[in-house]
Amino acid sequence: MNALRRHRKLTRVWASEPGWRGWFSTVNHTDVGRMFLATSFFFFLVGGVLAMLIRAQLATPDSAFVGPEVYNQLFTMHGTIMMFLFAIPTFEGLAIYLLPKMLGTRDLAFPRLTSYGYWCYFFGGGMMLFSLLFGIAPDGGWFMYPPLTGPLYSPGINTDFWLIGITFVEISAICAAVEFCVSILRYRAPGMSLDKMPIFAWYALVTSLMILTGFPPLILGSVLLEVERAFGLPFFQADLGGDSLLWQHLFWLFGHPEVYIIFLPAAGVISTVLPVMCRTTLLGYGWVVAAAVALAFLSFGLWVHHMFTTGIPHMGLAFFSAASTLVAVPTGVQVFAWIGTMWKGQPQLRLPMLHILGFFVTFVMGGLTGVMVAIVPFDWQAHDTAFVTAHLHYVLFGGFVFPILAGIYYWLPLFTGRKRFFRLGEWAFALIFVGFHGTFLAMHWVGLLGQRRRIETYDADAGWTAINFVSSVSGFIMAIGLAMVLIDVLLHWVVAVRGERNPWHAGSLEWVTMNPPPAYNFASLPHVDKREPLAGDPDLPVRLAKGEGYLGDPFVTWRETLTVEAASGRPDYLVIYPTNTRLPIALAAVTGLFFLSLLIKVYWLTPIAVFGVAALGWWWVWSQGRQSDLGPQDVGRGLSLPPSGETDRSPGWWGTAFLLAANATFFGSLIFGYAFLWTVAPAWPPPEWLEPSLLELGLGVGGVVAGSVGTRVAARGNRTGGAGSSGLLIGLAGTVVAAAALSTLMLRVPAPGGHAYGATLLVLAGYALFHALLTGLMQVFLIARIRRGYTSPRRRAEFPIVGLWADYLTVIVVLSLVVAHLPGMLG
Amino acid sequence: MIDLLRILIAPLVWLAAFSGIYGLHGVGCAYGWSEITVLSLSLFRVALLASWGATVLIQIGLLLALCSDRFGSGSLFVRRVSVTLGWVGLVAAIWTLHPVAILSSCS
Amino acid sequence: MGATPLALAGCDGPLSTVDPAGPAARTIATLWWVMLVGAVLIFGLVAGLLAAAFRRGRQTRDDRWHERVWIVGLGLGFSMAILAALLASGLMAGERLMPRPAADTVGVRAEARRWSWSFGYDAAPGRVTEDVLHIPAGRPVDVAITSADVVHSFWVPRLAGKLDAIPGHVNVLRIEADHPGTYGGLTAEYNGEGYARHRFVVVAHDAAGWQAFLRGETE
Repeated sequence: MNALRRHRKLTRVWASEPGWRGWFSTVNHTDVGRMFLATSFFFFLVGGVLAMLIRAQLATPDSAFVGPEVYNQLFTMHGTIMMFLFAIPTFEGLAIYLLPKMLGTRDLAFPRLTSYGYWCYFFGGGMMLFSLLFGIAPDGGWFMYPPLTGPLYSPGINTDFWLIGITFVEISAICAAVEFCVSILRYRAPGMSLDKMPIFAWYALVTSLMILTGFPPLILGSVLLEVERAFGLPFFQADLGGDSLLWQHLFWLFGHPEVYIIFLPAAGVISTVLPVMCRTTLLGYGWVVAAAVALAFLSFGLWVHHMFTTGIPHMGLAFFSAASTLVAVPTGVQVFAWIGTMWKGQPQLRLPMLHILGFFVTFVMGGLTGVMVAIVPFDWQAHDTAFVTAHLHYVLFGGFVFPILAGIYYWLPLFTGRKRFFRLGEWAFALIFVGFHGTFLAMHWVGLLGQRRRIETYDADAGWTAINFVSSVSGFIMAIGLAMVLIDVLLHWVVAVRGERNPWHAGSLEWVTMNPPPAYNFASLPHVDKREPLAGDPDLPVRLAKGEGYLGDPFVTWRETLTVEAASGRPDYLVIYPTNTRLPIALAAVTGLFFLSLLIKVYWLTPIAVFGVAALGWWWVWSQGRQSDLGPQDVGRGLSLPPSGETDRSPGWWGTAFLLAANATFFGSLIFGYAFLWTVAPAWPPPEWLEPSLLELGLGVGGVVAGSVGTRVAARGNRTGGAGSSGLLIGLAGTVVAAAALSTLMLRVPAPGGHAYGATLLVLAGYALFHALLTGLMQVFLIARIRRGYTSPRRRAEFPIVGLWADYLTVIVVLSLVVAHLPGMLG
Repeated sequence: MIDLLRILIAPLVWLAAFSGIYGLHGVGCAYGWSEITVLSLSLFRVALLASWGATVLIQIGLLLALCSDRFGSGSLFVRRVSVTLGWVGLVAAIWTLHPVAILSSCS
Repeated sequence: MGATPLALAGCDGPLSTVDPAGPAARTIATLWWVMLVGAVLIFGLVAGLLAAAFRRGRQTRDDRWHERVWIVGLGLGFSMAILAALLASGLMAGERLMPRPAADTVGVRAEARRWSWSFGYDAAPGRVTEDVLHIPAGRPVDVAITSADVVHSFWVPRLAGKLDAIPGHVNVLRIEADHPGTYGGLTAEYNGEGYARHRFVVVAHDAAGWQAFLRGETE
């Protein structure tokens, strides 16, 4: 069979529905990646227009262009859109598009989840856009400090749009992060051990782990603040046992890692593109990997440096000041590794390289001012002034936008299979570079002269007029440059000049695919034995197209790929993917209905939406799996592997493990909040503790232990040929008992509306109850699967997944019950 | 999977110790532990110093383990990266927590 | 006045942190100038190394040499040395600016609300001034800061750094003015619609003026 017939057969299996209908049912990473990028750049445009309005307002003193009520929405939405609707989704889109191609596989681990994440982003972003168009956008600043954003001082719906809309959008980040972790660790070409992974995959892995542990504190904060606003449970009101500082801790526990979540993927782009532009390999691959991991961890020890002026004791500040200086070391290691790479090779001034130079200049300056604000006394002056605005734009524009522009121009030939015809890009770069520094360099100085951030007007005699005017004019120059990039990319799409394959002579696997890549990426999967498989092997694309790799047999009708063992890259099992479906968009829509019902306070709709999510979720999982054994399959090159459903550690198990890691961070943040309020909030101890009940404690703990043990017994029973239902029934009964104990706890919580103690306890018990119900539902699901013949001693993958949830439930219920009952017992 | 753990363990332990000691500092200041003195040092300072010392010792132990044949990785690459990160954990423990020895505790 | 190039390069201004009028602001301004010089030097080094990468005809070295020079030498050695020195000086400066007990300290209270400040005086119980804080010049003043509604921040740029006013908490900031005079003060945490105009004034009196204020002879 020749390559063309193989291509046609594979395309028949992998293709999305033709035309615009395909957008709604596609689960293919190439499609969804493009949709993500298009949407995120649309939001970049919106955020950019808001920035221009801000600069128009500040261009002259005593400006009457807009009033404070509009201006406050402008800067809040500018920050929010750029952070949550542009930067993070751009990373997601780029990684969704590139990762499988770089890793030498055919799709990400959970194609339907890719699509679901996109639609959550789309609908959530739509909510935010709606609020902006109708003038009811959030206006509390992008970090939303209560009590300003609390029910007393922001009674309108504006703040709710932020809390609910952004939480909705964050679902997509969590989905993508889970998916990237599993994909990078398991979905690689055979032979690709950890040390042969493309450097971008390392960065994406580290970033994903950071999203899983960085986003949950903010989701918790948003939930608590929304609950306070909607139902009057106090968490942030000092006179009712709350503390507004709790929000600041939760927000910056997210917010500082967020900066590195944005920077690290961009650093991955630099580490990928720069060596190609210098015709060499990356200097110190192992050092760079270690630096990225170190950066990720250190970035979780920085959050208090946003709170240097809140009155925390000096020793407490000093820990974070020290960590904030230390974090510059792995950053420095990376920067010098890149400069060393340039010295090692022969750098060429092509368009991506120009943007990389723009990155160097801008980001190094941002890093230097970053070290300055890490020094506590200086931050006492610079905090909340234009100095910080300038600093963060140097870091984020320098550390994200320039590298992404470099990446866009680098991968554009891959996206389209064409080459650039008009040379607008070089001019655009010059305008962006000059415009950016004109806007922000002098802004440092005006901050030191006392200009605060977020003011909508200033007096002519403050001495800030000239600098602000220059800033505004330069801002518009930068905007023109960015508009030219957009035109350049659009022209590139329209003017068809076929380009050659691999125009930069790169060595990584994404250039092995056809340009533009087909839906299946690779006609057969390569065996990888070096870090740059394409370097020195120009025939690799032809051999793979002829089917000489793994899974080259085109007679199957499934979308299939291989997974590998995480560290060594040994082939592990065969994966059969789901095909085109509208289930993700439907589930996202119903999820959106849930958030919408909370936003517009139509609470009778909420349980309907929850039921809808549960029903679609059931359908989602049910539609996978088989009613008969498949056994090991021939995957080519003399290898035969079992399908994923016939293993103990299926992709679903891995995904669950990473999701639970994020979930545990959420729970840990909740416990932290409880302990924080107890020790720091002024109005403690509360008027009364929960009446301890040994019965409730015993039933709850006994119930979840039975649930956990029952699920294990079921798994063992299934493996030895038994049914497994009886163990699950015991487990289900235990889970129901635990749920009952948690319900009585929720009913007995003293005065949840009167003191933060009761409010926190109610949320804690509610969280545990939700998980008990979820685990119970899974146990019912598994019983139904057994009854319908979806399990066998071979087809055992679903048991360990439910087991993970049951074990997690045990841990959180025991901890919640102890934390709830202990104070009453001791006091 | 064990290899991934080898890579992550040292900075993970640093993060846990860092958060723990910051928490201990917050609790101690909130409950006025710095007022209780034993032998011219406050009890609070002794507790902070002891936790810092323990953290550094644990990090040294981890670094030695990652270098050893018994606990270190068989893969040369993972061994190099994990030992580098072992150093990161140790340096971070000394660097970020040294204020317990030199600064005033609760003002 | 503000639009002239002279003022663009100048440091003066009613709210300028680089025109200090008290010991705390002066310590921080010195720190800033030192850091600025250091940052410019480091930036120059990096820019020079970048430019030099484009030179033709460099002698080739192996990867091991490059790793030793770039990563171990510059990335680890150079950055850690600079950062250690900077951190040490920052921590020492911070420790010096702490409000420590001193003989002639004056205690005042500041309470922020949207969008005004009230100030009370330990030495003149019952005396409350709105949006004007009176202090004696040349003596350390401890300002006990709190808030009646949302989070605000107390900031007199020419005298000291800022400290937040947080509901339910009292934070103490040490300020001091070298000479009698009037100093602009700002709220420096975004607090809603009146934020841009939420300001106050600090009036520093000489010894006689301060006594007169305490006796209620000046407003």
